[in-house]
Amino acid sequence: MLNVQIDGVWMQFPRGTRLIEACAQANKFVPRYCYHAKLSSPGNCRMCLIEMGMPKMGPDRNPVLGADGKPEIAWIPRPQISCAQDVAEGMAVRTDSPMVRDCRNGVMEFLLINHPLDCPICDQAGECRLQEFSVDHGTGNSRFLEHKVKKPKNVEIGPRVTLDAERCILCTRCIRFMQEVAHDDVLGIVDRGSHSTIACHSDRKLDSNYSLNTVDICPVGALTSEDFRFKMRVWFLKETKSFCTSCATGCNTVIGSRENTIYRQTPRENNEVNSAWMCDYGRLNFHYLHSRDRLIEPVVAGVSDPGHREVATWKSAIARAAGALKKFRGDEIAIIASGRMTNEELWLTKKLAEALGTTLHDIVPHFAEGDDILLSSDRNPNTRGAQLLGITGAIPGEHLGAIADGAHSGKIKALLVLGEDAVDAGIATDLLKIESLIAANILPNATTKLATVLLPGSGFAEKRGSMINAKGRLQRLNSSINPPGNARDDWEILRDLILALNGNNGIYMIEDVFKQMAASVPQLANLSLSKIGDLGVQLDLSTTSEK
Amino acid sequence: MHISAELESRIDEAITHYPVSKRSAVMTLLHLIQENLGFISDESVTWVARKLGLEPVNVLEVVSFYPMYRRKPAGKKHIRVCRTLSCAMAGGYELKDAICKTAHIHSHDHGDHGDPVSASADGEYSVEFVECLASCGSAPVAMVDDRFYENVKQSDIVELLKGQRGSDATLPRVRPPHPKEKRLVFANIDKENWTPDIECYARHGGYGDLKKALTMPRATIVDEVKKSGLRGRGGAGFPCGVKWGFIKPDEKKPVYLICNADESEPGTFKDRYIIHQDPHQLIEGMVISAFAVGSHLAYIYIRGEFPEGAQILERALAEARAQNFLGQNILGSGFDLDIFVHRGAGAYICGEETGLIESLEGKRAYPRIKPPYFPAVLGLYMCPTIVNNVETLCDVKHIVHLGGEAFAKIGRPNNTGTRILCVSGDVQRPGYYEVEVGSVTMGELINDICGGMKPGRKLKAVIPGGSSAKVMRAGEKYKIKQKQADGTMADAEITLEDVPMDFDTLAAVGSMAGSGGVIVMDDSRDMVETLNNINEFYAHESCGQCTPCREGSLWMKKITDRMLEGGGVATDPAQLVKIGDNIAGRTICAFGEACSWPTQSFVAKFREEFEARAKKPTPPPMPPEYTSEELIENATIAATPGARDQGVQAAAATK
Repeated sequence: MLNVQIDGVWMQFPRGTRLIEACAQANKFVPRYCYHAKLSSPGNCRMCLIEMGMPKMGPDRNPVLGADGKPEIAWIPRPQISCAQDVAEGMAVRTDSPMVRDCRNGVMEFLLINHPLDCPICDQAGECRLQEFSVDHGTGNSRFLEHKVKKPKNVEIGPRVTLDAERCILCTRCIRFMQEVAHDDVLGIVDRGSHSTIACHSDRKLDSNYSLNTVDICPVGALTSEDFRFKMRVWFLKETKSFCTSCATGCNTVIGSRENTIYRQTPRENNEVNSAWMCDYGRLNFHYLHSRDRLIEPVVAGVSDPGHREVATWKSAIARAAGALKKFRGDEIAIIASGRMTNEELWLTKKLAEALGTTLHDIVPHFAEGDDILLSSDRNPNTRGAQLLGITGAIPGEHLGAIADGAHSGKIKALLVLGEDAVDAGIATDLLKIESLIAANILPNATTKLATVLLPGSGFAEKRGSMINAKGRLQRLNSSINPPGNARDDWEILRDLILALNGNNGIYMIEDVFKQMAASVPQLANLSLSKIGDLGVQLDLSTTSEK
Repeated sequence: MHISAELESRIDEAITHYPVSKRSAVMTLLHLIQENLGFISDESVTWVARKLGLEPVNVLEVVSFYPMYRRKPAGKKHIRVCRTLSCAMAGGYELKDAICKTAHIHSHDHGDHGDPVSASADGEYSVEFVECLASCGSAPVAMVDDRFYENVKQSDIVELLKGQRGSDATLPRVRPPHPKEKRLVFANIDKENWTPDIECYARHGGYGDLKKALTMPRATIVDEVKKSGLRGRGGAGFPCGVKWGFIKPDEKKPVYLICNADESEPGTFKDRYIIHQDPHQLIEGMVISAFAVGSHLAYIYIRGEFPEGAQILERALAEARAQNFLGQNILGSGFDLDIFVHRGAGAYICGEETGLIESLEGKRAYPRIKPPYFPAVLGLYMCPTIVNNVETLCDVKHIVHLGGEAFAKIGRPNNTGTRILCVSGDVQRPGYYEVEVGSVTMGELINDICGGMKPGRKLKAVIPGGSSAKVMRAGEKYKIKQKQADGTMADAEITLEDVPMDFDTLAAVGSMAGSGGVIVMDDSRDMVETLNNINEFYAHESCGQCTPCREGSLWMKKITDRMLEGGGVATDPAQLVKIGDNIAGRTICAFGEACSWPTQSFVAKFREEFEARAKKPTPPPMPPEYTSEELIENATIAATPGARDQGVQAAAATK
């Protein structure tokens, strides 16, 4: 540990700590624009200037000690940036001296003279660092009597990102992100001096699948999201910590919602999963939750006219489903579950299968092209959970063939399709042969249209529950909004089905499901939903793969 | 766009000059393409990017950073007129207007950013104001394509435009030195019967010092340079031996030597003559220096505005290579070295060593933060690198020749050797004068060596070390500590004329020796106008990387612009100083000081002139920035912000 004096107080920091981080840890936050902990430090904004000193050395090459027995400090007369240096033994900093305040006030003024000051129509308002640091370092009136520099505005720099170059403070975070993280060196600065502007070459656009991260890290309103801009003031957003369910990586997120509407999803730092980033595909993959086609009422086939569909109450829909299933032997029933279901739901699915006496169940694999940054080729967020809980085996989907064969031969008479389309599992026209087709889903598909009992469920942002990502990390979804209409949380639907089948149940809350699961799955032993926390828990799954 | 086979083979050859990183060849390729195709189209940008395995934006960043690269065609003859202080004082603005008139060019405002080139309607001629061409002693100067012309008079214009006159840069000239001079580095400059070829150089004992150096242990050469007390001649005056000492003797990484020939501080014009008239002196100094620091690859970074200088150096390097003063196993010593010329493209900031290194790596010349990027540790390609000025490297040859101790006896303690003082402005005989450091005073330099002020004029002010040095006012008295005959120090009061031209005294009186560019102003000069010219230079040359300099340099220029237009308000002088205070010492590189010291010192020393221009109690109303017609015409700025909003689009569709 290194001894560092911050504003007169000696503290200890591990070697390799950035000075700016050390100050923050000492509750002496140093304002910054260009510095980002996950990117290289160009030191260009000059906002993090501090006064720095090193111990005064005597002729014997030992530090000169003051009256208090501590080393005396030789202060460097010029201010230094704190973002590009690590702490060193005996280093001393002043983060709030008159010189430091003068530096910051000066930089703040420089940044604002050519800035359009269009906060009322700027999307960044409320989370803008210029606004934030103006409170401490700005002045009430401008001394700038000249015309501002004109730069391009409303530039479609990429399909999802819009640039306002006049608001830009040229911190180069976006450029460095694209170089260092996205490995797509598409952004640069053109022109020079005060006319410098962020730009792409006309041959290329900022069209990387990681482009929206530049919007997140832009400290001002220069880069805005085409999807989010002008939709909602950020201070009205309720923030819910969750994670992205668009692939098996499970990037940690913050969901921003207001009055039951989600407006955006942004990455949340988790160094074990996604650093501070997420892909555009996952980030924007929430609009379907607000689709007009959402299934919002339980629907059952008419008793007299099986072709007719009618809205039912939950009680009667569950009773119909249970009654239909009870008619068949276990080997006449199959379950197609989903790798998008939570562990709790999968656990209850397993219990349901046990209650029905069937062992024919699997999930539908969804694979697509991944990358070597964050996006996994496994687009199911919880394949590992489905494997751990025995819904699928080492090769997800390997039993689907058997289910399709059973449907084709007429052996399978009842089929539960949970969160999937049986067409994806290889069952198309044979669906018509299924006597009892029970589907749970949030959006209509070929299966839900044919279902004899249709049970409307909840999307990832509408429920709690846990999943296990590709690296075996157990993470927790939190509910950001309510499910629409009469749609219900999926674990409740499954619990009620089990209850209707054999009455054997002791589950009242989702925590009870997890408790029951943790009691019998050794990898989850001693865990609970609340213990998962915001950053998840790494599981040891080394023994599960041969199951 | 058509790249001929011949051009492509030249391009392929140029790429071999950068064995470590192809990216470094970006600027060279762009120069070749512009020379052959007239300008750099978007297509050319893509072509270069593909050739070097880069993203097109990497090349676009470079093209748009360096003012010499044109993205639109110029006239068949392209004329560059120097705009900067010494030339402006000698009539540079009038010269440009006269050229425009003669060539039938409707010049738009010289300040039009991003498109400074104005062409005649018939496409024959185009003209452009450029910043300092580094020949301030022969102001005003201009370039017609690659040819360079000194002391251009309005009566010369017709002849220049016809293209019949040969370049002044290669004109043989004879000028005997002034008796007070001590010629060391400039020994061969303007000498009778002197030619820049290797035969002439060898006839006069050339490369003898290299032969001597190659027999010496490397550490001994470094020690001799340390003993000599040589201080860098580029501007900062850092001890050269100390700089070399930063390179570990057992360094495992490759070590690079770079000659900084980006002479660009307004008022400075010494390296130009060494390169044009005595290139082998520089090459000999470089080979010795490279041997001393253990470098096997060296570059001469020459400013883009010296195209003839670059050719002369190329030729000289080829001559040296042919005689094995360069290449493998130099003179049988086992030491290998190659030197390549790298041309800049009109960016002052490339004189800053880390900016130069970035530029040599094929990037925008953004100076690096120090720590951690000290060139001696993390320089070119993140390897230890020594960057020395042309004059400094030439001095190394003389140190080897004389020995460090003998060299240290020239000049004064801590201010050893000779110094080439470049005098420009309102003196009778502007020019370059090599003197022992500190051996002449400001008064002797101006009144004796330079022949005094123009008839009937009195000295008003001097900028002693390039335009970034703080200005000194005639009649000022300075309190300094002077060494007495008995060795004790005593307080003394000296006048401007008494100030000896050395590093330490000029620093003690609140300015600096800088790069040795002395700009003299007489009592006809308006100091607000002078500062405005300097401010325009620094606003144009700010690289734009860090906030204070990027925003502050242009702000200061806008204020002095307004003051000259009659819109000065009472708070302006104080505001100018405050802006300077907010820049100096807070930037990544020393450009912050360079751009704020002139403002701080001009306002402080000529306050009455600034106050006279700043009388209005409130600012005048600003003229409208754009008329609504201009807004619609201006394609780069959306006339209707938010035009992509569906509502606006729908409304537009119904029109």
